Amino acid sequence: MPSYIAGVGLTPFGRQPGQDSLDWQIAAAEEAIRDAEVDLETIDAVLAGYSTVASHLMPANLFAERFGIRPAIAFGVSSGGATGLAMLAQATYLIAAGAARHVLIVAGENRATGQTRERSTSVLAQVGHDAYEVPVGGTVPAYYALLASWYQWRHALPEGALAPLPVQMREHARSMPGAQYTTAITTRDVLESRPVAEPLRLLDCCPVSDGGAAFVISAAATSERDIEVVGTGQAHRHQHLSTIEPGRTGAAEAAERALSGASLDLSDVDVFGIYDSFSITLAMITEELGIAPPGEAGAYARAGAFAVDGRYPMNTHGGLLSYGHPGVAGGMAHLAEVVTQLRGERGAAQVPDAVTGYVHADGGVLSAHIAAVLKHRCRR
Amino acid sequence: MTDQRSDWRQGERRLVLHVCSECGSSWYLPRRHCPTCRSSEAHKAQSPGEGTCVAVTRLHVKDDKGSAVPLSLVQLDEGPLVLGQADALLRPGERAAIDFRTAGDDGTLIPCFYRKA
Repeated sequence: MPSYIAGVGLTPFGRQPGQDSLDWQIAAAEEAIRDAEVDLETIDAVLAGYSTVASHLMPANLFAERFGIRPAIAFGVSSGGATGLAMLAQATYLIAAGAARHVLIVAGENRATGQTRERSTSVLAQVGHDAYEVPVGGTVPAYYALLASWYQWRHALPEGALAPLPVQMREHARSMPGAQYTTAITTRDVLESRPVAEPLRLLDCCPVSDGGAAFVISAAATSERDIEVVGTGQAHRHQHLSTIEPGRTGAAEAAERALSGASLDLSDVDVFGIYDSFSITLAMITEELGIAPPGEAGAYARAGAFAVDGRYPMNTHGGLLSYGHPGVAGGMAHLAEVVTQLRGERGAAQVPDAVTGYVHADGGVLSAHIAAVLKHRCRR
Repeated sequence: MTDQRSDWRQGERRLVLHVCSECGSSWYLPRRHCPTCRSSEAHKAQSPGEGTCVAVTRLHVKDDKGSAVPLSLVQLDEGPLVLGQADALLRPGERAAIDFRTAGDDGTLIPCFYRKA
């Protein structure tokens, strides 16, 4: 049985004090349910992503009670940045199994204003090995900086080779309502920004944000705005940087599993949403997928390949790098954007004739990969 | 390589790898099964701690108290990757050798890679 994305809820991302994790989840869920035009009584499953600020054993039950619904199925999901797409995949399994008709997936967090930056950094550092990496000084920016250093050396690239990627993300965000950063930047701005973990500089790194996202996934399409989930795929090859295989992180395997189920390949895709926690994340995933040749993601971005009118329109909302990153909801914003594009509702930034979309998220240190292929069911 | 039980985590100045008794592949972080052949039979062996530096970073702390911390990722000659602190001169592509520095007052050891002449 196919699944359809019937409702989308995406709040603005940014430093927005005054709301806690549940407030953001409720705001996003309310919008998704209104958008889907479904009755609250018909939501029979709720999946909720974790919040690092409001850590809880039972995030879906907590949300459901506060929201005021009593689903037949509820559970929390935790796969780092891939959690949003993990929930999407799980929703399709529940629907395919006949266990649910309308699944609400939701995440939200006041990550920017609900905790100190030091606390946020130390929580996220858990993706490193507690005995062999964290005590050495490992943090998330350090792990990705090492991947960037390795990448630059392997491909004999100069400093700044990745800078066109955040520049393109910012260009997308300039016209995106709700984006955290909308002021245009240049590659020089990236290179002159404060070093965080060399070679990565501040503008190579996504911000920490407050915000939420939610979707209603349904067993039957009720309007032309419903977007079919034609395939999902996953790969989980490692957790820690010390066990990664560059070029074979699992990105390509997840894509292959998602696409083959739909008898499609990436050349069929009209619009992309690719996880971009750092410039290097976007480069490594894009290249492992074969969208850009090895070492050339930055050059592709510079040439406009990822622009709205480029060959591979990508993260047209601005991505994590510019729309923002409140944790689980951050990776769900790519999904929201691709759905909006496939609905043909993206206004001035609409990719013409977008029928097929591809969304890819990673959690950890390119550790958990989850891909989803979406299709508008009427346009062909 | 000789059999060793403890490593720098237990205060011994050495790097210890796990070697699969079935297929001979080696790994660094603890695992129940060999990632190559899934065997559960493995022994420990001390590594000379030499290899090729594949990546370096200088980690800048937010408040910028103190200097940036150099970190490196080294691919040992046996194959596994090891994260360590680093000699500020070490660059990707260069040969590297491990040593251990003492951190804090409790004598905790931290692996550190140096450029090997």
